[in-house]
Amino acid sequence: MDTLSTSFAPAGATSRLTARVASLPSADKALLALLFGAALLALVLGLVGGAVTALARAGALTFLPDDAYRILTLHGVSVFFYWLYLIQAALLLVLAAAENGRGLALRPLAWTGAALMLAGFGVSEWISATGTPLLYDGSPELAADDPRSVGVFALGYLLLSAGLVASAVCGIATVLQPRLRGEAGEFTSIGFALFAWAGFLVVSAIAATNAFLPGLLWALGAGPFPADHGTEWHILFHNLHYLPLMAAVLVWYVLSEHLTGVTSIHGPRLSKIVFAAYLVFVPPTSLYHMFLEPNLSESVRVVGSLLSLFVSVPTLAAFAIIVSSLEASARARGATGFFGWMQGLPWRNPAMANMGWAAVNMMIGITFAFVLIQEKLAPMLSDTFFVPGYFHFFAVGVLTQTFLAALMVILPALGGGSLWRPDLLRRMPAVVTIGLLIFGAAGITAGFMGVPRRVFDVGYGGMAPAAWPLLMALVGVGATIFAIAISVTVYGVVRTLLSLRPSGGQAPVVDWRTGSRGVCAVPAWTGPLSVAALIAAMYVFTIVAFQLIQSLPIIAIGGGHGH
Amino acid sequence: MSERHFTTRRGFIAALGFGAVSLYGAWAAYGAAPLPFGGHSGHKDAARETDADGHGGHGAAEGMAPEEFRFEHDFFVRKYAQKDGSVNPHADADAHGHEGDAHGGHGHADAGHGPGAATASGEPADLYLMAQKFAYSPDVLRLKAGQAYRFRMMADDITHGASIQLGSASRIIRLRPNVVTEQTITFTKPGEYLVYCTVYCGQAHDAMHGRIVVG
Ligand code: HEM
Ligand SMILES: [Cu+2]
Repeated sequence: MDTLSTSFAPAGATSRLTARVASLPSADKALLALLFGAALLALVLGLVGGAVTALARAGALTFLPDDAYRILTLHGVSVFFYWLYLIQAALLLVLAAAENGRGLALRPLAWTGAALMLAGFGVSEWISATGTPLLYDGSPELAADDPRSVGVFALGYLLLSAGLVASAVCGIATVLQPRLRGEAGEFTSIGFALFAWAGFLVVSAIAATNAFLPGLLWALGAGPFPADHGTEWHILFHNLHYLPLMAAVLVWYVLSEHLTGVTSIHGPRLSKIVFAAYLVFVPPTSLYHMFLEPNLSESVRVVGSLLSLFVSVPTLAAFAIIVSSLEASARARGATGFFGWMQGLPWRNPAMANMGWAAVNMMIGITFAFVLIQEKLAPMLSDTFFVPGYFHFFAVGVLTQTFLAALMVILPALGGGSLWRPDLLRRMPAVVTIGLLIFGAAGITAGFMGVPRRVFDVGYGGMAPAAWPLLMALVGVGATIFAIAISVTVYGVVRTLLSLRPSGGQAPVVDWRTGSRGVCAVPAWTGPLSVAALIAAMYVFTIVAFQLIQSLPIIAIGGGHGH
Repeated sequence: MSERHFTTRRGFIAALGFGAVSLYGAWAAYGAAPLPFGGHSGHKDAARETDADGHGGHGAAEGMAPEEFRFEHDFFVRKYAQKDGSVNPHADADAHGHEGDAHGGHGHADAGHGPGAATASGEPADLYLMAQKFAYSPDVLRLKAGQAYRFRMMADDITHGASIQLGSASRIIRLRPNVVTEQTITFTKPGEYLVYCTVYCGQAHDAMHGRIVVG
């Protein structure tokens, strides 16, 4: 059915993906290894920054204010911009090259892109460590008296954007090349998804230029002060956190096929529609970031509220496609049990474990995202620790774990080595999730109570509720747990990148491919039940939030509030 | 191809994608749904705020220019300043007799909205709160429970917050520089409420706070 399921090696042998990665030209391999290494370096720097930030917020470490904010800036810049975007560029290129079968088209452009991104990485890290702390959004008004910091900070992101455009164009050319040569017909679903993702990257890079070029020009004395940065940033930022989510879903597609041989039982067309849906559903849903803006008009607020309900459509649809395809294939091979069929998945493979737990984290993350997007609840939750409290389920639990899973599969094929200690690595995702649950439960509760984000000492001269510092201490405990577990995984992946010696053992995969007959006769309830559980959880926490906001000893009208 | 169970059909999968849209039901139950259908929209307790639907507009006070705000703010603070440094718009007019008279005739557009008049008429009383690095002006406000106040707020230099901690949760307010934001607020319980900045604004952001004492 799906064009992807045509060229399989026998079960147990290298998958199509790893075989194709292994046979890439060595010039491509060198470039990819460089990008993967740089992405991992960004992640390591960011993890250190995040762990220190969390301990500082917990009261376990104390810094001068400027230093604390520099560390927070380093954290946000390193993980959100450089880890997530370098890894996306690298994954786009490697998947495109594998899809093409012969390697990268426009290779010099890919190298140029890598050089630009690495230059941006260096510039951004340096100014974050030494300049006026601007946090990762680089708001110029924080350094109106320090144009140098504003300009250099903007320059870093502009270099990254330029490099991303080059990488994306190279990715598009690589996917298109076999078609232009007449060697391939229709897009596979992965090919199409790569194409859409690369296009979205280009659009976001333009939005980034729009947001940051004015700061650079001002610093150079060539333009007015960028007073509008806030609005430009919101538009950019919204795309910036859906792009990696789209990439993660794409990686799930690729990994599901690699780990089980299963491709969508619904055919490539539905998958293509879902990937295209990101481009349709994401940009218009950005308004919910602005519910607190005093200037937002009432009509925009209403439209924004309505649209925000649709923001998860492509992600949940993709989740349903993957889960139903896996379940139907397992059942067609005789698996039984309501959830028992999942036991057959290759859980001993750490990539599988990462991906499975990533799906759990996604459900938790979506639950709370939907509490935040209600415009009448925004005046209780925006700008509080609720926000980092829930989004780390995405940032760490979903995105970081998914991309690390991809590296566990791709790096051994790329370098010829083998995965470092799979038996240890496969246990980490559960620990990461436990840490995130503590971090998230304490952080979300703190947010409900009004603990602000981006504040290191929440004492307010003794006026703050006594629970605030306690909750932040718990945040520190959770952060420490997931920081350690993620660090172990990162260490394993770095060891894998550096390992050249093939070992006998390959991380296990299964082969659930079946003929197209008989696959779908039995019910597949896991997907619908997961979505039902998600909806139930969303209802519970939304109702809790409404009850809480109503119980406050205040009656308020207007100002970022439905009015 | 064999007959498919409905859970493995494309239409069903696509419908699952829209699963989260059903949260609309919870919103509607609390009168917070953006569309007018889905039960009793708007006029149930939940969104007491939607009661204001009638008069349109939004948080930013239409028509008040930053300069006007600064002028009114300075006047407000000077007029109601107390010996302990707090500002109390209910300060007995007798204590400020000379000013009290002035108020009637000073030509302020809002003469009719002074707290004295407000209490009598049920109209909200006007208050002015300015946020700047790294403090609020006024720093301490003394107000009365059950009285509606029209908070007019503005950031003087860069973006700040002016969030109010209300015990079990807070009301988060974001202020943009030179944009006058207006909210009508009634405190229903006496107490001391923390006002704090929730938008990072620089070195002493952590320390930026004030107080509302509701008697
Ligand atoms: C060791 C793992 C990590 C720890 C302990 C950690 C901890 C934290 C903490 C405590 C904050 C809140 C700062 C505040 O608002 O006061 C924060 C902010 C943030 N984190 Fe993490 N984090 C980790 C990993 C990540 C990863 C992997 C990502 C993204 C992929 C990420 C993205 C962010 C972003 C974007 C912010 C907001 C920065 C800002 O407000 O300026 N974090 N992190
Ligand atoms: Cu402030």
